[in-house]
Amino acid sequence: MKQTALDNDKEKRTGAFIRTWGTLIGFLLLMTIFSAIRPDVFPSGRNLKNIIEQVATLSIVASGVTVVMITGDFDLSVGAIASLVGIVTALLMKAGMGTFASILIGLTLGTSAGLLNGLIIAYGGLSAFVGTLATMTAYSGAALLISKGTTVFGLPENFRFLGQGSLGFLPISVIIMLLTLLGIYILLEQTTFGRRLYAIGGNEEASFLSGIRTKQIRFIAFGISGFFASLGGIVLTSRLYSAHPQAGSPFMLNAAAAVFLGMTAFREGEANVWGTLLGVLIMGVMGNGLNILGINTYAQSILTGVIIVLAVLLSSLAKKKA
Amino acid sequence: MSEKQALRIENLKKSYPGVKALKGVNVSFNEGEVHGLIGENGAGKSTLIKILAGIVKADTGSFFIRDEEITIRSSKDSSSNGLSFIHQELNLVTYFNAMENIFLGHSYPRRFGPLVDWKALKKRTQKITDTLQVSFPLDRPVSYLSAVDRAMVAIARAFAVDGNVYFMDEPATALTDIEKEKLFSVIKNLKAQGKTVVYVSHNLDDVLQITDRITVMRDGAVVECKKTSEMTKDTLISSMIGKDLESSFPKRLGSPAETLLSVSHLSNSHIRDLSFSLRAGEILGIGGLVGSGRTELLESIFGSRALFSGEMLLEGDSYKPSSPKDAIASGVVLVPEERRKQGLVMSRSIFENISMMSLADLSHGGLLDHQAIKERSHEAGDKVRLKSADYRNHVGTLSGGNQQKVVFAKTVLQQPKVLMLDEPSKGVDVGARFEIYSIIQELAASGTGVIIVSSDFNEVLGLADRIVFIKDGYQTFEKENSDIDQESYLNYCYGRELS
Repeated sequence: MKQTALDNDKEKRTGAFIRTWGTLIGFLLLMTIFSAIRPDVFPSGRNLKNIIEQVATLSIVASGVTVVMITGDFDLSVGAIASLVGIVTALLMKAGMGTFASILIGLTLGTSAGLLNGLIIAYGGLSAFVGTLATMTAYSGAALLISKGTTVFGLPENFRFLGQGSLGFLPISVIIMLLTLLGIYILLEQTTFGRRLYAIGGNEEASFLSGIRTKQIRFIAFGISGFFASLGGIVLTSRLYSAHPQAGSPFMLNAAAAVFLGMTAFREGEANVWGTLLGVLIMGVMGNGLNILGINTYAQSILTGVIIVLAVLLSSLAKKKA
Repeated sequence: MSEKQALRIENLKKSYPGVKALKGVNVSFNEGEVHGLIGENGAGKSTLIKILAGIVKADTGSFFIRDEEITIRSSKDSSSNGLSFIHQELNLVTYFNAMENIFLGHSYPRRFGPLVDWKALKKRTQKITDTLQVSFPLDRPVSYLSAVDRAMVAIARAFAVDGNVYFMDEPATALTDIEKEKLFSVIKNLKAQGKTVVYVSHNLDDVLQITDRITVMRDGAVVECKKTSEMTKDTLISSMIGKDLESSFPKRLGSPAETLLSVSHLSNSHIRDLSFSLRAGEILGIGGLVGSGRTELLESIFGSRALFSGEMLLEGDSYKPSSPKDAIASGVVLVPEERRKQGLVMSRSIFENISMMSLADLSHGGLLDHQAIKERSHEAGDKVRLKSADYRNHVGTLSGGNQQKVVFAKTVLQQPKVLMLDEPSKGVDVGARFEIYSIIQELAASGTGVIIVSSDFNEVLGLADRIVFIKDGYQTFEKENSDIDQESYLNYCYGRELS
């Protein structure tokens, strides 16, 4: 209590700096540490490209989840939607339907599954957690039922393009990821829809009384999440060149974790698309780096959990300081 | 009475980014004294109280209780030093009952080791309600209680533990006169026991009535501290705003024209068969007590509360809003009662809040027109005399008066035909109040029909051309303002006509 005002000011500015850039600094630190331990392997162009390719599908899915989480909702069903759409698209192609048509139907199915979430939650009044927990169970049941629990192989050759092809030096999956990020960025920052999302997240009642159709906006947000979950699922299916009824399930927690990590970056406590990208990259670099160091994958999961807690904890500590 | 100091504060300083909230405050409160603490919003009263309550940390400053220095680092420190608080915002856990709310954060009585002794808890609660001479349901979640009862629960909380100094921040805002009298007799009791009460309020009549000494704060400093007997409302106001105020209400501009909105036989669960009309450029007051259906009437016209029956005509055309969006599209706008909860998104910028209602007009094909948002927001902000250098700041950083101006700017941007105001000056300081009244007058003069609801009847009397009174949802009287004075106003609110 004997501090001078000047010290206090300085402390506050440091706090603000950490809040804005801390997570990015942590990410760069992580990169530096891995590069220092394995300078021959980790920082090589080949490995970095590998990381980006690995996180492409997750960042597509997580971008969609970001939209839902801005309003304060939550989406547990993205993994199940990705799996279901992967299976349906694969089976359609195997049944002889054109690749493009199959993908279109897959995307429509996934978007509809997302809108159904929105219907149950925004209009039905269920909490997002309970609502998507239920639909997650149902959607993954559907994926298992349709595929009879087995992996679908033997997809058409031209389907490889999405997950394995390149345009120049850029893999197609990475191009889709970049377009997704850009699209979501424009949606969130440059459109009335984005403004309304953030307004609802900040104060739903005030938003409603300002003439915003809060239910409709939340409904659409779930549709967007469903669309990008299915896009992620299709790219993943192409990358693996096969569809497994549970291929998408890691998306559920990883996407949420990425958005939570992203909420600690750039903007205080608010989901934002660049934060989500950073969150995805942190998880990707962690996984890759720990693999290179030869650390057991189960132990990796523990470490990932610890890192998420630490990141959120540190940023909230910096917040308290202010 | 003794002149012993119960609490002394020395050189208290606190600054927030860009704002010096407290610039070295020195003040002392005596034992057996009711001490008024007044000042405009943003003068630093709330910050002072939050620091004493251990919610906010001071930059520098010392506290002495009976000349002994204490430190306040947490709300626990604060209550163990005998400081007790009734905060301006109710902060109740709505699904807890009154007992649990009152003892929230304090230790419950126990039995058999860790088990809560509910009977003992109830007894202790009843002891508090007995001293306060109030009764409200103890076992039901407070969400079922009326606004007045909830306010009493919040007051009762201050008495969960014995304190020496009681801070009451706007305790009477939601109370009716009867409850207020009860509160005042409790305050007198406390005083008789040699305790100290610090009474913070914008209602100067209350402050003059109940206090022994008054401290006036302005811009984060104490500007005056005198015996209440040496003060009048006028001297208080001028020392609060630092200049003399000619009159509390601006002059009426313009005069009403043709009928704008007419409602007939409006009924739902809160209002019964209400019919009246509003002319363009007219200010119509809705008189009545808290809970009479005033707010619900505005909500029904705004489309946020469904009607069972009744008809509305706006400029001669049928008007049936099913949501606020419909109402706004038709040019009917509401400034809701609870600014923080219903009016603003505190975590977003001034720009975003002002433009929130008008995004459709400020965009092209869904894409935001940032230039238009900037220009129109500043235009609206200037119109309501909003004082903020940077509209990118979060609304949460503004004072109460400026926050209310943001809400007004938001509605002004819509250029509404009908503007409904629910408690437009709640939590707004005296200086900004006059400005808000001027804005209302200007809007009416430009042809907007204004409907105003307020618990401050001077406000309704000072602004309205005509007043419709409702009691328990029923329409009781409709009077021209010129035919009413303060006394008859209150009688009409209670449904009585003076012969």
